[in-house]
Amino acid sequence: MSAPTPPSQVSRRRFLQLTAASGAAVVVSAAPGAPLAAAAGNRKKRAYVVVVDGCRPDEVTRELMPRLHSLRSHGMNFPNARALPIFETLPNHAMMMTGVHPNHTGVPANSIYDRDAKAIRDLDRQSDLRFPTLLQRLQSVGYTTGSVLSKEYLYGLFGTRATYRWEPSPVVPVSGHAPDEATMDATIAMIDNVDPNFIFVSLGDCDRVGHSDVTGTTVQASRRAALKTADQQVGRLVTHLRETGRWANSVLMVLADHSMDWSNPDRIVSLQPHFENDPLLAGNVIIAQNGGADLLYWTGADTRRRAAVTRMREIALAVEGVHEVWDPDYLRLGTRAGDVVAYCQAGWRFSDPRPVSNPIPGNHGHPATRVIPFFIAGGSPLVQHGTSYSRSVHTLDVAPTIGRVFGLPAPRGGYEGVSRL
Amino acid sequence: MTEFNRRAFLAATAATAATAATTVGRTPALALGPDVTAGNDPNPYFRHGVASGDPLPDRVILWTRVTPSADLGPGVGNGPSVSGRWQIATDRTFDRVVDSGRFTTSPVRDYTVKVDASGLQPSTGYYYRFVFNGVPSRIGRTCTAPDRFASPHNLRFGVVSCSNLQAGYFSPYRHLAARDDLDAIVHLGDYLYEYGPGRYGYGHSNTDIRSHVPAHEMVSLRDYRQRHAQYKQDPDLQRLHAKLPFIATWDDHESTNDAYRRGAENHQPDTEGDWQHRKWRAHRAYDEWMPTRMSDTAKLGDGDRLYRSLRFGTLANLSMLDLRSYRSKQVEQSELSEVDNPNRSITGDPQMVWLKDQLLTPKVQWKIVGNPVMIAPVVFPPLPNDLTAAVNDVTGLLPPDGVPYNVDQWDGYTADRHELFSHIANHGLQNTVFLTGDIHSAWACDLPRDAGRYPATKTVGTEFVCTSVTSNNLDDITNSPPRTTSIAIEEGIKASNRHVKYLNFDDHGYSVVDISSARLQMDYYKISDRADRNATSEWTQSWATAADTQRVHRVEGPVA
Repeated sequence: MSAPTPPSQVSRRRFLQLTAASGAAVVVSAAPGAPLAAAAGNRKKRAYVVVVDGCRPDEVTRELMPRLHSLRSHGMNFPNARALPIFETLPNHAMMMTGVHPNHTGVPANSIYDRDAKAIRDLDRQSDLRFPTLLQRLQSVGYTTGSVLSKEYLYGLFGTRATYRWEPSPVVPVSGHAPDEATMDATIAMIDNVDPNFIFVSLGDCDRVGHSDVTGTTVQASRRAALKTADQQVGRLVTHLRETGRWANSVLMVLADHSMDWSNPDRIVSLQPHFENDPLLAGNVIIAQNGGADLLYWTGADTRRRAAVTRMREIALAVEGVHEVWDPDYLRLGTRAGDVVAYCQAGWRFSDPRPVSNPIPGNHGHPATRVIPFFIAGGSPLVQHGTSYSRSVHTLDVAPTIGRVFGLPAPRGGYEGVSRL
Repeated sequence: MTEFNRRAFLAATAATAATAATTVGRTPALALGPDVTAGNDPNPYFRHGVASGDPLPDRVILWTRVTPSADLGPGVGNGPSVSGRWQIATDRTFDRVVDSGRFTTSPVRDYTVKVDASGLQPSTGYYYRFVFNGVPSRIGRTCTAPDRFASPHNLRFGVVSCSNLQAGYFSPYRHLAARDDLDAIVHLGDYLYEYGPGRYGYGHSNTDIRSHVPAHEMVSLRDYRQRHAQYKQDPDLQRLHAKLPFIATWDDHESTNDAYRRGAENHQPDTEGDWQHRKWRAHRAYDEWMPTRMSDTAKLGDGDRLYRSLRFGTLANLSMLDLRSYRSKQVEQSELSEVDNPNRSITGDPQMVWLKDQLLTPKVQWKIVGNPVMIAPVVFPPLPNDLTAAVNDVTGLLPPDGVPYNVDQWDGYTADRHELFSHIANHGLQNTVFLTGDIHSAWACDLPRDAGRYPATKTVGTEFVCTSVTSNNLDDITNSPPRTTSIAIEEGIKASNRHVKYLNFDDHGYSVVDISSARLQMDYYKISDRADRNATSEWTQSWATAADTQRVHRVEGPVA
């Protein structure tokens, strides 16, 4: 554990250089006017949301993830838990922090076709998230918040919303994420130095091993190692909270943003070639590929959109490996999700625009990856220990649950999730 | 304690205190009141007892048969219409009657009475009775299901199948009726058998412990009615019906052995007439005599759709299947390559569409399927020929040439199984559990999507199979003492089918399934001897599946 240390340096741009348990420097930026040292006392309310990116609920076993398993067994478990469309990182993190669907957040998927820019891009800009988040709203009622997000695009999306924000570092070049150990170093350093009331933590190792191994040969071993690492890091957090006396007043939510599905190289769906063979669609459909989900955008004349959507649906459903197609409005994804959403079957993946575009075996985005672990632990009296609940819960419920901890009113228009406390 | 559980507990506790009755152990989640159903009904007008079934949040089926006079027995065929009354109350003295009505019955419906008592409160215990000629029936006890969005802490059901009256006494029913912790009974089929005396009795010699009425295979409507009536006069079954609501489906023996859409192994058109007519008669008698809601109503003659679902708040949705009325004919041993023909079906298309939709119910955690025949793939190891024949005799599982299929269960309709398992996987569905009967043996299995790659493959659910109440099983066929010859076979099957974790080919008995958000647990019980009217009951093993794991694991003891 690291002893609380005062910020050793404050730059004119309000960057704090903190000391991690490992002795490494952790750089955190702070909002203007934010306290630069931890508020005294362990009786103040604290809440932590830890996202184990891509973790499946059946992976939280006593053997593989003993610390998470124990937290789940002794806390409030919600086995009927699901991520929401699109079953990807950015939209579900956005839903956690807002409590509303993507038609309000503006973040329906990781990757979209930006009609204005005429380009496919990740939704990794602070301006992409269009709904007030917990990170800001808690500040408006006098609390401090922190974001410790391991992936670069998550950091980009949430930007400077929190009182204190850690920019992922060091970043693994291929995956674009910081290892879990570094992420938890930053979390603990932030707790020790500025002690925000609420910290939003996202651990990326579990997800990234699925994405990084293009051969698939080491997936199982790497996955198990990543799960164990994530478990150890959450364990570090809990131990630290206990040892520093914070646990008794803490609520700790642990969940995933989606789970993971693996496909073989012969189970690939490429829709673009099929569209290019159709007289109506050829040259007029852009696909934003999201692993297990394709977002299909009609770029032709508006007068032909209805016919084109019908045709896209027909063609997609006829392709082996496609599970379902949906109207983005029905899924409450908003206009940025395009005209049609296609899901692949379990054990398949999309690879668009070309069959070689997506070489990685581990994917999500499709309904096979909607199940997630979701449990609440902590020493707070709000936590009912050793309980399990059959009602269905979603990533949308995080914001109202954390809001309940702090007595935060619902945002204008209300939550679309429900407090689970 | 949740609000739901508190209400249920208080209601039951208050009722218990008021009547000085005692309940032991767990209070039923569905707020059943204290038992007042002990003893046989001496009432000559209600010789077949009372029953309830298919509880919904606002209604439950109430059933009886009136015997207006001694000469108007079951299957009588003609006689006057008669009328009476029924009542349902929240207290056993019927001071607080919440609904009542008048019934009229006649030989057209074999003097049976079936009422869908509605306007009831969810999660509430009730007492009911019928009155004819001013004489009340015995009192039955029943309950309603929780509100759709309630979250009961747990549910506990007795689970039974394969009750052959000629093969012994229904002691499993007696032991289930002696418990005060159950919410309902799930009967997974073969509630009665079609054979005449001397066929398919007790043990290796097929001795009749009791003889069927009528004294021949049931074929006519009168036969089916009289056979139902005989079973309904069994004191153990009668008491269990009076004490708990039943949720039942049929398998083949409610009509005849190895039935399928257009025929049955035990139906000979030359001597027994057209199959569709016989099937109609079997279904008609079932509708008359069972407390089930067919085609969603208690009415007779408005359809014979038995597959249906019952929801228990957010905790469980129970989908009861009919795997006999719509299935393709079982393939012959010489055409086993046809088992995966997509044109063949065990469910029929409408039922498959319905089942898949039921599994998608998003607000419910446990998707439970009342499944008359086994769905887990079973691939058999090489066995000595004599043992192969013996296993086949009881289960029909082993083709003589060793090809690994039982064509009467889902293994004979693998396209349907593939469609269902793919549906579960594609939608990321968790916590699907099949409760199964049919094969006179007890199993606990994982359900791998690709059995050949198990355990390195995803599982889509679990299956728990209850053994027979009385029908013969493997040691009867091999004429071996229990737990001798069968053990080697069980171990061989488990070795070749690593997703099969528990298998007992010898015991007769019943199971108790307990469902909570954290896990679903099946306790297996055996009885001492079917030929002993006072057979004892003994717990054997317990297996469970923890939420979100899709895997079974052994549990050290039964639920308290």
